[in-house]
Formats: sequence, structure tokens, C-alpha cells
Amino acid sequence: MGQQDNRPVMITLEDATKVYTSGGEEVSAIDGVRLEVNQGDYVAVVGHSGSGKTTLVSVMGGLTRPTRGTVKVEGTDIWSLDNRELARLRSERIGFCFQFPSLISTLNCIDNVRLPASFAGGDGGVDAAMELLERVSVAEKARAFPKELSGGQQRRVAIARALFNRPRIILADEPTGDLDEDTEEDIMELFDEVNGEGVTIVMVTHSRRLARRAARVLTMENGTLAENGAGSREA
Amino acid sequence: MVGIDPETDFTVGPWLEEHAGGKLADDEVILGANAHIFFGKSESHVGDVEFFYGRPFKVVGILEATGLGIDDDAFITLDAAYELSSESNVDAVEKADIEPGQISTVMVKVDPRYDRADVARNISLQVPGTAGVTSKELMATSLSRQLQTLTPGLLLIGAGFWFISVLMIGALFTMIVNERRRELGLLQAMGATRGFIFREVMLEAVELTLLGGVTGIVAGSVLILVLKGPVADSLGVEFVWPSASYLVVFTVGYLLLAALTGALAALYPAVSASRLEPYQAIRSGE
Repeated sequence: MGQQDNRPVMITLEDATKVYTSGGEEVSAIDGVRLEVNQGDYVAVVGHSGSGKTTLVSVMGGLTRPTRGTVKVEGTDIWSLDNRELARLRSERIGFCFQFPSLISTLNCIDNVRLPASFAGGDGGVDAAMELLERVSVAEKARAFPKELSGGQQRRVAIARALFNRPRIILADEPTGDLDEDTEEDIMELFDEVNGEGVTIVMVTHSRRLARRAARVLTMENGTLAENGAGSREA
Repeated sequence: MVGIDPETDFTVGPWLEEHAGGKLADDEVILGANAHIFFGKSESHVGDVEFFYGRPFKVVGILEATGLGIDDDAFITLDAAYELSSESNVDAVEKADIEPGQISTVMVKVDPRYDRADVARNISLQVPGTAGVTSKELMATSLSRQLQTLTPGLLLIGAGFWFISVLMIGALFTMIVNERRRELGLLQAMGATRGFIFREVMLEAVELTLLGGVTGIVAGSVLILVLKGPVADSLGVEFVWPSASYLVVFTVGYLLLAALTGALAALYPAVSASRLEPYQAIRSGE
């Protein structure tokens, strides 16, 4: 499934399986998934609701432990790491964008953006946070609290936060869900821009239109993964 | 200065026997809590030698503050008082004017079955030249005994309230953790360790209970300031603030207990929060 080129592999899934127990029955959210994502890839994962897309990116990002199989990030089996090392990996190498408003309500925008630095042991510089807020076009809201922002503005701030520690991977789960088309377009352009800088992006979406912007499109169906080929963007 | 008969005294005698292991000797003195002020000293200690009308006395005891007149007193034996009076002609700047055999007060310990006021009245009637009175000091002693009886019960009730407050704060923080599951999951996604989550919940609980402790101290102090006068009047006793060192120890101890209460109550919710799987926590509420 992986691309045959010289770029280093960023994410490897080998036989990744996640089984949940629901109503006394075991349900495989993802089942024996094999996948390689190379540095700089822009991968879209599409599929119906409940097909296992969100579980897939959660397993990739070390947010949930697979029932079976291995997950490697830059060659490191992340589930062999202890809690502290895994937290550091999440903090330093991966930026998450979620499908719901994910800002901390008691912090203003600039502090939300700087938050990941406190876990990575960085200085959480205000200037760097302001730079990112300018980049996502919400600098004027730097001192505002999440409840004072629109849904689109909140997503932008969340993206700025995901980028703050200069991660090599962005895992985005429906990053534009419930946003209007203009805001959606702005955010997708931002993703294009970040990917152009060499950041690997894995984006879950139910929209085939958005998926076509990616270099690779994968389809999840009943917990299994199929490669659909390239989208409009070149890898 | 109060001269007492060590053979019959029941005011400081029992205390002396308990703490100093014997009766008051003629060269010994027991000081009230504030008696040192009359020597122009900031404080006196057991073992010091103090001079009364030129006669040296060894301090064998210092009474706790009572807020009553005896705080200013110095207790010596009646014999020492007579000798001091006669010697004060020679040794003292001012003569102590006590005639040999003269007494000013006879303390009468009344059997609890009898009414003190009746006894005082009868003494006044039957012994010419005397005035029988009842004293606030005895009232205070009686009150103190009553409080001592009540103390274990009050402590038990306090312990019960404390236990209930631990359970309630624990329940409160369990709800807070449940309400903030998504936020806690997000923090983990951003790189927070389990230890960080645990510390956050614990710190929040300790801060909350410390704030409650400070509020309790302030409210309690205000209540005492407002009510001390009326309560003291109704009980017929003086209000005495505890010593500064006692207040400091009490305040620090109380705040430590408040912090401990928060820590104990939040232990289970904090452990639960730290064990949340980020994915499940983030998806909670969907």
C-alpha cells in the first residue's frame, strides 16, 4: 500500500486491529489494517459513519491501544513506549485536529495555542503563538476566550495549536465538519500549505470532494482499508 | 499578692500538687499569667527568682491565662505573707501592711448538692463582719468542667462531619472529572502525562479545600468577635483569646487538615482521571 519512493516512512500499521465490546458482542472497529504513510504524504481516509475512520487515526496517534498489531511512528513502536515517552511523542511529533470544538474553555486563544509547549518542555513563546494565529487569520482574537469565537474561528485556533510544536504529522478527524463552505475552503488551503512544508497529513473525512485534495485516498469499510489511488494533489 | 494556707487551699493547691509534686513552700511563688508585668518583665519562667517587698521567692509555677483577676496575682503561703510584711519594714521601699493573723478572704468549697447563693447568704447572716459572695471564678471552673464533659461528644460530631465532607468532596470531584473527560483526553492528546492529569485534579481539590479552610477561619473569627461579648456576659465569664503561638499552631493545623481533606477526597477521582484512555475520553459525550 505504501508509496514506492525514497521518502522515509512516518507511520506504519501492521495488522492493526481494534476490537470493542458492545452489548456483549465483540465488534472490530478496525480489522487487520496494514498501512504505510511516508513523510510529506497527504492522505485522506473516507468512509461511512462507523466504518472505523476515527479509530484508525486514534490508533495511529497513540490515543487508543490496538487490540492486536503494531503501530510505528518514524520506526518506533509507540505501544512499546511507557506513558511518559508516549506522551512526549504525542506532544512533539503529532498534532491533532478533532471534529468537535476542542479548545480549553478557561484559556484564551493565545494560551490555548501555547498549551502543547508546556507538555513538551518548551517556552511556549507568545510571539510564536501570535505568528500562528496570524497564519490562521484569527490574530485579532488572540485574547478572546473560545465561547467568544465562531465555530470556524475555533477550528482555526485548534489548527494553530496543533502546529505549535512543529509536529511532523497532523492527524485530522473531520477538521471541517459542520463548517460553512468558505471556512472549509480556508482550512483546506491551510492544510495544503502545511503539507507543502513537508508535514505529513492524515485526514479523516466523509466528503469525497475534500478527499480529492489529498495525494492518497483510502477508504475504510467495516474496519478494513482499501487504497483508492491518488486524489488531485501530487505526493 | 495572695497568701494562701497550703494545708487547706483548694484553689492553686491541687494544681501545684499535680504539676510541682508538693505543697507550696514559704520561699516559693506561683504566678498568674500576667504577674510578670508587675516586675516590669516581658515574661517570667519557672525557676526564676522574683522579689516581693525585698524578699526572694522562687517561681514554681505559672498559671495559664484565664482572663480573670487571678492572671495578675502571685500566690505565696500565708506564713510567707506575714513574714514578708514584717520584714518589709527593713527590706522594702514600701511597707506591706498586713497584720499577723489577718485574713481577707476565706474560700468555701460548696458541695454541688447545695446552692452556692444560699451558702453565701447563710455565712453572711451567721458570721458577723463577713460578706458572703459567689465568684465568677468558681462559675468559670464549673463551666470548664461542663465543657470538658462535652468535648468528646463535640469531637465525635466533628469527626462525623469531616468524614461526610470527605465523601461529598469525593463525589463532587468524581462528577467534575466525568464532566471534564473530553478536556482531560484533549490534554493527553497534546502530550500531558498521566501524572500531570493526576496532579491537576489533586491540586484543584486541595486549592478548593484550602480556600474553604481560609473562609472557615475568617468566618469563625468574625463570629467570635461578634458573639464573644454577649456569650461571656450570659455565662458570667471573661473571654480570653488563646496565646498567639496556640493560634498560629491551630491555624496552620486547621489549614493542613483542610488540604489533607481535599487530597484524600480527590484521590479516587484523580486516579480515575489519570487512567482515562485519551480516545474514549475525547469521544465521551458524543
